[in-house]
Amino acid sequence: MKQTPNEKTIQERLKPGVITLDGFLGEDNRHYHDIINEDMEKLKSLNITKEDIADRMQYFTDLALMNNDEEAVIDDIYKVHYLTERGKIVSPFMDRGLIAKGSITLHNMQNDLKVCWTPLNISMIRNHGFFEGKGATHRLEPEILVKAIF
Amino acid sequence: MLSLIINNVVIFAGIGGFLALLLVIADYFLANYGDCQIDINGKKKLTVKGGSSLLNSLAENNVFIPSACGGRGTCGLCKVKVKEGGGPLLPTERPYLDADELKNGVRLSCQVKVKEDIIISIPEALFSIRKFKGVVETIIDYTYDTKGLVIKLIEPAKIDFKAGQYIQLESKKYAKSKQVVSRAYSMANCPENNNVVELIIRRVPDGIMTTFVHDYLKKDDELYLTGPYGDFFIRDTDTDMIFVAGGSGMAPFKGIIEDLYKKESKQHIVYFFGARTTEDLFLVDEMKEYEKKMADFTFIPVISQPEKSPDWKGESGYIPPLLDKHIRDPKNTEGYLCGSPALIASTEKKMKELGIENVYYDSFG
Repeated sequence: MKQTPNEKTIQERLKPGVITLDGFLGEDNRHYHDIINEDMEKLKSLNITKEDIADRMQYFTDLALMNNDEEAVIDDIYKVHYLTERGKIVSPFMDRGLIAKGSITLHNMQNDLKVCWTPLNISMIRNHGFFEGKGATHRLEPEILVKAIF
Repeated sequence: MLSLIINNVVIFAGIGGFLALLLVIADYFLANYGDCQIDINGKKKLTVKGGSSLLNSLAENNVFIPSACGGRGTCGLCKVKVKEGGGPLLPTERPYLDADELKNGVRLSCQVKVKEDIIISIPEALFSIRKFKGVVETIIDYTYDTKGLVIKLIEPAKIDFKAGQYIQLESKKYAKSKQVVSRAYSMANCPENNNVVELIIRRVPDGIMTTFVHDYLKKDDELYLTGPYGDFFIRDTDTDMIFVAGGSGMAPFKGIIEDLYKKESKQHIVYFFGARTTEDLFLVDEMKEYEKKMADFTFIPVISQPEKSPDWKGESGYIPPLLDKHIRDPKNTEGYLCGSPALIASTEKKMKELGIENVYYDSFG
């Protein structure tokens, strides 16, 4: 597969030990383009956009941030816990600026689904449609994510 | 006809691409920019070999501009004002610069190539930043996920800093980590002990640096760091002070309190240290000792999950609601915060509501 130098760099930055210890690809040996394409097809079938998903994740993240690292109940349905960490991280996609560290855990009490994401996940979904590779620490299955947060 | 057009497009695109590649190769192997001069603030002149990035050229001459991405043009931290030289602004820089910065010639030093004489302006404080080689003298287990690190400095053997400032620690390649990374950590020692750097490092899941420190670093290992950085230090005033920290946010306050003790400070100081459970508390006995030794210092550990620590007799809940009763005169009080972004956000909001105007915290949080 032909790649631009920029795409090669991104593929390298997604691997373990470059930006995070476990990387963003998991056991997925595909190029990140293929991972994104498959997930975008899934979103099409779910009739939702990556921006809709990122907006919703950001909504929970912002509300949970003001709860002092403790669990918050949002809209009577969602238990959300934002564990913030000191420090910031760069995006593997070389987007501008630094992104906050930390992890957000959401429990949908109606359907009992639980999902966990980082602020970097929101950025990668919004700007690139990247939900991470299969088996990656913070891989988000689009279908489960949508069921959990909407 | 169509195939003729396609053939021509492909041929021209191929020739264009080949020439562009040739230019890049020629620039890499043949371009000789000779010696170039970098004038810094009109006070310091460096002669460097042309062709390298401004960030690297400065670092090779012991002028360290803060950078979190190692010069890859993605963090936007390594800004300097270029008054003359430096070539045209690159598309890779533009997203990181606002209108004022563009107008004033601010550039990303990792993107500017030194191909001619350059005149730049940087904050004076950056002149005191050095690269240090040290060895691990002591590793302390503070809690199940927090370690203390004492690094004895070898070359240079001493670091001049203000209590509360931070350094950038370099990791080494290990196991899955294929490259060296740098991370910022507050210094936990006071400036009088300037032959060591003390750090407090909490494990971050999936973190390259914290896994290195917690699982791979051993006593006597060599390490490199740069510093001191930052403007998180005590202002030279006589005001009351409220310190609020959580977790590894203890680090700068440990150094600050040691420093204030050595200076025989008489200021009214209240220090809130937040933790989830008693298992997350550390250095409590040391801080209680300072309560006895210092003129007007109170240490208040606060547990946010008292149900998990049934024997806890101290304060519990969130720190912000506890602030009111310890503030004598908000107009004459300064707030200093170090901890998770959530703690900083909620505490700063509360302090502003109470009328405390000057609230300081680390920029890298």
